[in-house]
Amino acid sequence: MDGGLDMMSGLEKIRGRFLDLLVTRQQSIAHHAVLAYESHTLDEVNGNLAAARDILHQIAGTAGSLGFDDLGNAARMCENEIVAHLNGPDNDLALCPDALLVQIDDFVEQCKGMLH
Amino acid sequence: MRILAVDDDPIILELLTQFVAAIGEHELTTAESGAEALDILKTPGCAPFECFMLDIQMPQMDGVELLTRIRDIARYADTPVLMVTAMSDKRYIDAAFKAGATDYVTKPFEVNELRVRVGMVEKITQTRQLRTKKIFAAKTAAAVPQTLELHEPLSVYDVDNVIDFIAMENYVAQLSRNALFGSTAFGFSVRDVEGFHQALNAFEFSGLISDVAEVISDTLAGHQFLMSYGGDGTFVCVTESGWRPDTERLMDDVNLALSRMEMFNNDGQPLEPRVSVGSAVRMIWKSGSAVMDALGEAHSSAKAAAEKYERNRHDFWLTEQRA
Repeated sequence: MDGGLDMMSGLEKIRGRFLDLLVTRQQSIAHHAVLAYESHTLDEVNGNLAAARDILHQIAGTAGSLGFDDLGNAARMCENEIVAHLNGPDNDLALCPDALLVQIDDFVEQCKGMLH
Repeated sequence: MRILAVDDDPIILELLTQFVAAIGEHELTTAESGAEALDILKTPGCAPFECFMLDIQMPQMDGVELLTRIRDIARYADTPVLMVTAMSDKRYIDAAFKAGATDYVTKPFEVNELRVRVGMVEKITQTRQLRTKKIFAAKTAAAVPQTLELHEPLSVYDVDNVIDFIAMENYVAQLSRNALFGSTAFGFSVRDVEGFHQALNAFEFSGLISDVAEVISDTLAGHQFLMSYGGDGTFVCVTESGWRPDTERLMDDVNLALSRMEMFNNDGQPLEPRVSVGSAVRMIWKSGSAVMDALGEAHSSAKAAAEKYERNRHDFWLTEQRA
């Protein structure tokens, strides 16, 4: 019984830490997405998309364990879209597709909604 | 158990700390990068770890590279390693098994999944401790220990694409989990392996198995495969990407390479192992326990082929003598 309570209280603390981190993480994702969209060189576009992907990967990896399943699934979908673009036929173009930016924007909005 | 967990995400490390505390009496150490983990392992006086949990996707040094570096440390050559990864990382998972992973846990994970995986690691650790005790006991009883049972799977080190039998079972299990059934299983079995096992001590027999493994691995080079020694002189191979092996031709190629290889026992007597091959078992449309059964079928089919070869050879000479 005590073990179960310890577990609940421990997970609650981690959940709090996750949400604290989510504030900066969603800002970083938005920052990298905008930079990718506005950049004109391949390295900058793909580099910023890769940076956004890595943060999404971290969110997707833990959100589900903490009870934020929808957020985790949305992060995973965004991550997969970026991976598909970076491995796809347009990966040699200095271009961040509009649809990808919209999807990332939706995710950032979802984060903001949760944080409020 | 002493466990070292490595992940660049602090939240994962906190979750692991919480979950591991909930599933038993374990001591967890954490590191946020491969470099930090290696520093911990190299710390003088650091008590050995009995299990590793490594995130696959990490910046700078990823989990597969870290695993390779850990395997290079003699003390950790066969310590169980659980990779922690996302569902979508199939190619990374394959690379991890090739590098020597024992199994993997998918993110996001739950405490029950972790309990099952860590429980499996505990069983492996206990079995190995028992085997080590038997070896020490045998060393005091006789000059040349014969502690290796014929049916016992053994670890083959430093041969490309050869993994532990337990890891192979876990690898095949993840094929079914991910619905990737375009695979084929088949096996090679050393002919008259009982004769070799009786004539050789444990060290020599282990060396013979490693040499045969190397020849099979070299023969299959260029194809996508993993193989494992499952005991009884039998190796099981699992291929992917729809490749259907011409098993008879492969057997000839392996035996040709074995005939060119010079092998000796400790007394300098030549050893001339040859293998038989079993049926190729397609894993497509199989799932769950049927996939594991396919592994067993490949193993028993190869063993039966080797026994049949020996029986036919024996019957042939009996017929000749009667004539």
